[in-house]
Amino acid sequence: MPIHEKSLIRPESLLRQEKLVLDGVDVSGDWSTFIESRVVTDYNEQMEEEIAALPGGEFIHRCWQCGSCTNSCTVNAINPEFNPRYWIYLIRLGMEQELLRDKDIIWQCVSCNKCTYACPRDVMPEGVMKATAHWLELKGHTTPSPAMVFDEVFSDQVFATGKIEEGRLMRGFFARTGQKLTEDWFVRLIRGLVTRLPLGLLARLGWAAVRHPRTRGWRRRRQAMTDYVAEQQVMHRAALRLPPATERRR
Amino acid sequence: MSEKSGISSKYRKVAYYPGCALEGTGHAYNRSTKAVGKALGLDLVELKNWNCCGAMEVKNIDPKLQTFLSARNLKIAEEMGFATVMAPCNGCYHNLKKAEYDLAHDPATRETVEMLSAKAGDVAYQPGHVSTIHALDWIREAIGEEGLRARVRNSLKGLKIANYYGCMYTRPRHIFPEKDQGPGSESTNAPHFMDDLLAAAGAENVEYPLKTACCGGAHTLSDSNTSTRLVLNLLTTAEACGADVIATECPTCHSGLELHQARAAKVFGTVTHVKILYFTQLLGMALGLSARRVGVHENLSDARDLLRARGLG
Repeated sequence: MPIHEKSLIRPESLLRQEKLVLDGVDVSGDWSTFIESRVVTDYNEQMEEEIAALPGGEFIHRCWQCGSCTNSCTVNAINPEFNPRYWIYLIRLGMEQELLRDKDIIWQCVSCNKCTYACPRDVMPEGVMKATAHWLELKGHTTPSPAMVFDEVFSDQVFATGKIEEGRLMRGFFARTGQKLTEDWFVRLIRGLVTRLPLGLLARLGWAAVRHPRTRGWRRRRQAMTDYVAEQQVMHRAALRLPPATERRR
Repeated sequence: MSEKSGISSKYRKVAYYPGCALEGTGHAYNRSTKAVGKALGLDLVELKNWNCCGAMEVKNIDPKLQTFLSARNLKIAEEMGFATVMAPCNGCYHNLKKAEYDLAHDPATRETVEMLSAKAGDVAYQPGHVSTIHALDWIREAIGEEGLRARVRNSLKGLKIANYYGCMYTRPRHIFPEKDQGPGSESTNAPHFMDDLLAAAGAENVEYPLKTACCGGAHTLSDSNTSTRLVLNLLTTAEACGADVIATECPTCHSGLELHQARAAKVFGTVTHVKILYFTQLLGMALGLSARRVGVHENLSDARDLLRARGLG
């Protein structure tokens, strides 16, 4: 069965008849299972263009559905519902409603690039996954995923200081996602490490957490980058036919 | 190669880009890389006032911004008079390579980087001036397997090692034009540079099929269960292959393996005992440096007992 017909045999589309008479003939038992007739009409004809307008999605049109991406996929191996080839198919056809069934797992791509390595048509499926996750969020289909929040906290710190200080990054991420930093396995791990670390290094790390390492003379670069991000956001929303954002989320 | 020292002059002195992780969780990698360089008579000159390479996170916001950030570091290397910059972190290495490739092949990227550089008051980096190498390339090119074998003072004999390279060192293929060039070059499908170096240091490499599998480092914090499952797969496979140690070459993989080894024990109840060490720590000890000198005590995964039992460090 072609991948796009998968939806026809979902449990909710199967009709079971205990007693069935067709043209006066009792076919109970032989013809007990039917599939619901279905005609797809709700295409989003712009969907492929919209994904292609977002960073990473540029080459989605090259796909010829060989399935190398899904075959090589790290996440697919632990969750068979994670299926880049299928999603690319749906996007190219404009089957938005079908794609939305998987909206909460698309962000879980780990960017291992096995798909991009395997793809014979240079579709760069890893980029397509990022573009699709981004698209779902811009369209309001999903709230920002934890991965997207992490990307934003991380990037904001790079824009602000030019460097990353991991302690600050973790605190920022946990604060925005409302998680505790004090899971007991984590606390025990850190405590074990602290007893082994030399005082000099501990002092250095503590000092880095307070002082925030930064690249000197970063102000103009920060400005250039944040202006660029704002311009890109306007362009992305326009490409998706969305009204201009009223305020920046961060 | 110069006759006397056996050191290739090309990489005797290179620019050094440690990156953010090596100043934090990957400090032991920074420390051991420098210590190994010193023990081998190689000079590392740190880039002046470097910035984050953009990592995966800035790339996810916008790939061209990541190119801008990485290109600035390449420009610094060029201005300091270096033709080669060495980045031990897989993420940094990958990003500098990707910046070089994108600037050379994608006019839109070049245009954006030039626009951003002009606004930031920088002179934009032009591709073709600086090549980026990994710490593996650096040691292998400068000293070579033979040279390393001659310098080993404390052989890793009897230590069974699973060599773990991760994703960013080999994928995607197109940003590594020097790989897959036949004998002597690195393979993107079955990388072997770390195996070669550690074998020269006396270690027994196990056949490890997950050399380039993913540790889930991108989602260490944002999707911990996926990361833990991926790491657990790496750890249990290494144990099944008979490894005492997983050798790493990336601070994100390394700390991911350590963190999720502890988390797996707690959350999934699966306890694994394989130790995780940077390949530079192993090489350093083989060269006669103490375990402390290469920062073994800074690892979360405490390998000191194992190393003492094997007469190392």
